[in-house]
Amino acid sequence: MRIVVAEDLYLLRDGLVRLLQAYGHEVVATATTGPETVAVLREHRPDVAVVDVRMPPTQTDEGLRAVLAARRETPGLPVLILSQHVEQLYARELLVGGASGVGYLLKDSVFEAEQFIDALERVAAGGTAMDPAVISKLLTSGSPDQRLGTLTDRERSVLELMAEGLSNTAIAGRLFLSESAISKYTTSLFGKLGITDDETGNRRVLAVLTYLNS
Amino acid sequence: MRQLRSWMRDCGVGFVRAAQAAGVALLIPVVWAAAVGLWQLWGGSAWSWIAPFVWAAIGTLLLAKPVCRMTRTMVANWTGIVLPPGYRELPPITQLSTGYWWNGHSYSRSREDARREQRMKNWRYDPATWRDLRFALLAPVSFGLVALVPLLGVVAAVLALTALPTGYLSGLLVTIATAPYAWRSVIPVATRFLGASATMELADRVDTLTALRADTTIAQAAEIRRIERDLHDGAQARLVALGLALATAEKLMETNPEQAKELLRDARAGAATSLTELRELVRGISPPVLNERGLADAVRAMAMDLPLDVAVETDLPQPLDPPIESALYFGIAELLANAVKHSAASHVQVSLLQEGNQLRAEVEDDGRGGAEIHPEGGLGGLRRRLAVFDGTLEITSPEGGPTRAWMMVPCASS
Repeated sequence: MRIVVAEDLYLLRDGLVRLLQAYGHEVVATATTGPETVAVLREHRPDVAVVDVRMPPTQTDEGLRAVLAARRETPGLPVLILSQHVEQLYARELLVGGASGVGYLLKDSVFEAEQFIDALERVAAGGTAMDPAVISKLLTSGSPDQRLGTLTDRERSVLELMAEGLSNTAIAGRLFLSESAISKYTTSLFGKLGITDDETGNRRVLAVLTYLNS
Repeated sequence: MRQLRSWMRDCGVGFVRAAQAAGVALLIPVVWAAAVGLWQLWGGSAWSWIAPFVWAAIGTLLLAKPVCRMTRTMVANWTGIVLPPGYRELPPITQLSTGYWWNGHSYSRSREDARREQRMKNWRYDPATWRDLRFALLAPVSFGLVALVPLLGVVAAVLALTALPTGYLSGLLVTIATAPYAWRSVIPVATRFLGASATMELADRVDTLTALRADTTIAQAAEIRRIERDLHDGAQARLVALGLALATAEKLMETNPEQAKELLRDARAGAATSLTELRELVRGISPPVLNERGLADAVRAMAMDLPLDVAVETDLPQPLDPPIESALYFGIAELLANAVKHSAASHVQVSLLQEGNQLRAEVEDDGRGGAEIHPEGGLGGLRRRLAVFDGTLEITSPEGGPTRAWMMVPCASS
């Protein structure tokens, strides 16, 4: 894949580039400021961009704003946001233009290199990758949802992984279960939550996120 | 007809008020007149004036405070203008382990002695004492004289009754014409000379700021120590362990690759844990969203994470000073945490507004109420932290709810 990396700290940028190259990907350009990120994204049209939230010149949410601007210009432009902290607020802003090709992960997620590369490839393919921390905040915030309370522990973990953007196959791999068992769980939990189960892939993630968001 | 009645009432009320004002203002001149009378009674000789005049002087000193108190009460009752007395507060008297009593300045054998000494000293050094005295001496020659006019009119009328009828009429006329207005002369004099003087306000301010400075210094030192401890026992220790694990893994790489791999896995887990700890620590010092987005969005982000239905309404025109922003953020966090923990509320409304040159941050829940500010509790601490910025915290929380808490902080007006 052709990848753009936007990160102002040299050590992290260098580490990310090495990691991506180690997995056989090509880093076509790097950026170190918000405005530079916008320009690089426009110029290179990468398969996916990895962008830090906080960057110069203001040291505020430059990266996030650059991404939102770029995605307004090119809807569905695949972007993975990496940050030292995750906020529901930012996640919702990212999802406004649809969940397609959106990733939002803690920087810690690079520790699990395989999963990180999986997530990156998923986003590049138009999928979603939400950090577990965002999902667990979504699940516990707001007024207590009666219907969420009726889920079994298993159904709840399936729901969380689904909201992170994983496919049934990937969920089965994570939970060490068969794919048919996962689809049984998804059917029953969709029934309990009242979501129609004819959605697949990306649209299913969006349905789950929308449910949790409301 | 009605106009006439209201005018007559004004006249009557004014006459009574003028009489009161004149009475209060002339208390001290009466004492001096009595002294002069006594001296004359004793023959008016060269030395006999000393005793009555000493008594009059003592009487003046003792009467100054009551005269001021009465004037303040009159003004408050008649106009609703409250003049703060501004007397200095007496520090508490404490018994020391030696058995002696300490009043803030000196030691005494008994509590009564300590209190008396404190009163004497305070009386001498309190700027309010000198203001009282000045006012008591000023009163008779200012509003005292003016308020006397309606009364003199009546006196003149009574005296003239036997002599000539025109004098009688003009005396009454003076009374009727001046009665509704004469008493008002007390208001400008009292507001000008009886309020807290600039010196007194400054003295008050210095006391408040000294206390605040002590508070903030202590709080800041404690906070820094907490951060140091967290870093020392958390991230620092974990990084040392991480280095150790990596060094060992390097050594074992060739001889025992399996164990080396396990060590590397542990090291990675350690790094993840220390990141989580650091993230929590940073959130407690300065929440990242606050730096990235400012107060309004930081409060919105915080509200989203709560297990409650929180609505946030903000109307802040300009970016705020970082310290004020931070104080308000943590203040709102504290109020919201209280709502979650104690109120059993289902809905919370947060509003951030600018009112004139004040910022108002309000948190209202539909819970069971009964919240109070204890000086030692979290809300007391919040109030002290806001006081550093001349900010205030108020709360209304009747039993059964709702609870409404609001913070006001001055900001530079645009």
